[in-house]
Amino acid sequence: MNDELFLNEQIQVVALFQAGHHPCRPVRFKRANGKEVEVSELGLRHPLPQGSKTIHIFDVTDGGTDYRLEFDSERLTWRLTREADHYE
Amino acid sequence: MSRLPELNEHNTERPMIMHIDLNSCFASIEQQSRPMLRGKPVAIVNRRTETTAIVTASYEAKAKGVKVGMKLREAKILCPDIVALETDPPKYRHVYHKLLAIMQDYSAHVSMKSIDEGVIDFNHADEVTKARDLVGIGYEIKQRLKDEVGVWMRCNIGISTNRFLAKTAAGLHKPDGLDVITSHNIREVLGELKLTDLTGIAHRNQARLQSVDIMTPLQFLDASAETLHKIVFKSVVGEWWYKRLRGFEVDDVDTQMRRVGRQYVLERFDLSREEVLQRLHHLAESVGSRMRRYDKSARGVYVYAKPREGKYWHASSLSPLPFFSDATIYAQAEALFERAPSDIKEIGIHCYELCDYSASQLSLFADEIARERQVTGIIDDINRRYGERTIHSADTLGTGEYMRTRIPFGSTRHL
Repeated sequence: MNDELFLNEQIQVVALFQAGHHPCRPVRFKRANGKEVEVSELGLRHPLPQGSKTIHIFDVTDGGTDYRLEFDSERLTWRLTREADHYE
Repeated sequence: MSRLPELNEHNTERPMIMHIDLNSCFASIEQQSRPMLRGKPVAIVNRRTETTAIVTASYEAKAKGVKVGMKLREAKILCPDIVALETDPPKYRHVYHKLLAIMQDYSAHVSMKSIDEGVIDFNHADEVTKARDLVGIGYEIKQRLKDEVGVWMRCNIGISTNRFLAKTAAGLHKPDGLDVITSHNIREVLGELKLTDLTGIAHRNQARLQSVDIMTPLQFLDASAETLHKIVFKSVVGEWWYKRLRGFEVDDVDTQMRRVGRQYVLERFDLSREEVLQRLHHLAESVGSRMRRYDKSARGVYVYAKPREGKYWHASSLSPLPFFSDATIYAQAEALFERAPSDIKEIGIHCYELCDYSASQLSLFADEIARERQVTGIIDDINRRYGERTIHSADTLGTGEYMRTRIPFGSTRHL
């Protein structure tokens, strides 16, 4: 039932910056173990203020697992902080 | 309308009030953000323990009998595959602000009733918007919610001549409904509802109405203003109901902030007195910071404790001069808490008799107050810049792990 795995993994991300309601959309990321994940859907993007700094949270899926990516807008770094599957 | 309407008189003006209500709000937002949860039973809880109460359930969970307020343990019996997720306030705040921005595109007169519902008063909209069909605007808002937040987001929309009937309309066809209540269909709509389906009529008011043989909303509508005023509600509230049911506005009132408070259900029930006081201290810091954010100070502190068994305990104190620092709030709360019972499951603290923080106050201790104000201001600045609780009392060093801020229901003031 409690299916989430909490992580703090630095990742490499290919993201698309564009006009519209979703101006930044991660499309692919590479994990520390070399595994590449294709993002099939951006569920929701929301800001997480940390004092005067903002972290952007991207909840995404590859169609089998949900992931949470965090973009630090000050340091310009991406981290994978959650992974969730095993819903059965 | 200032005079009381006749018994058969209804508000026949064009319906210009739109009530918007997000369906199973937190669960829908989680299903939106985590696509693999869509179509699955989801429960949102404040803490992942078996005894925690469910804050929101998805429609899939509700279909299996899971209800809001039910213990997670009971929900698992009805629905063993339910996925329990902890509340994620920043995510819900983001969606709240998105919804608010969409609503404000149509009228300057928007009021949010809680984190998942709000009202647009089109009486104050521009002429071009006013000339549009409100049902069309309703469907447009539904689509914008999907485009601007996400495809899984749905909302109920109700349109009527006053806030009460608009909310009633929004509850008629869940999820994703859109209904209009006018003077033409009011009897038909009320004929299908129970008294407790009406917002504001819970068990106590139902019992009041039933004591004079008002058993249905239609009988409520047909009751005279005199009966409602003098016999049922024994106050002007009866007249408000009489007008409300006829579509006249009585609920367009601004609420003022009268107190600031926070409560906490203890993570364990075997905490020592000292540990409970640390949590009370954490609440005092949280309340103090919130109060100062609104440029307020207070004269009163109220604390309460709910024991696991026995009666609710509370105590309060009122000072002649206003105070604002966390240390003063906690000192008063701690003194009051000496009389609190043991074996507690929940504690709470409120500051009341609020006044403007910046208003100068003549005092014999002016220097001391000025220094306290400066120190408090600097701590608040640092916490604003580097994040909540960057500086806090050493006493509350270990409490942050348990006492994260939850989503407030009702008031949207702190969102």
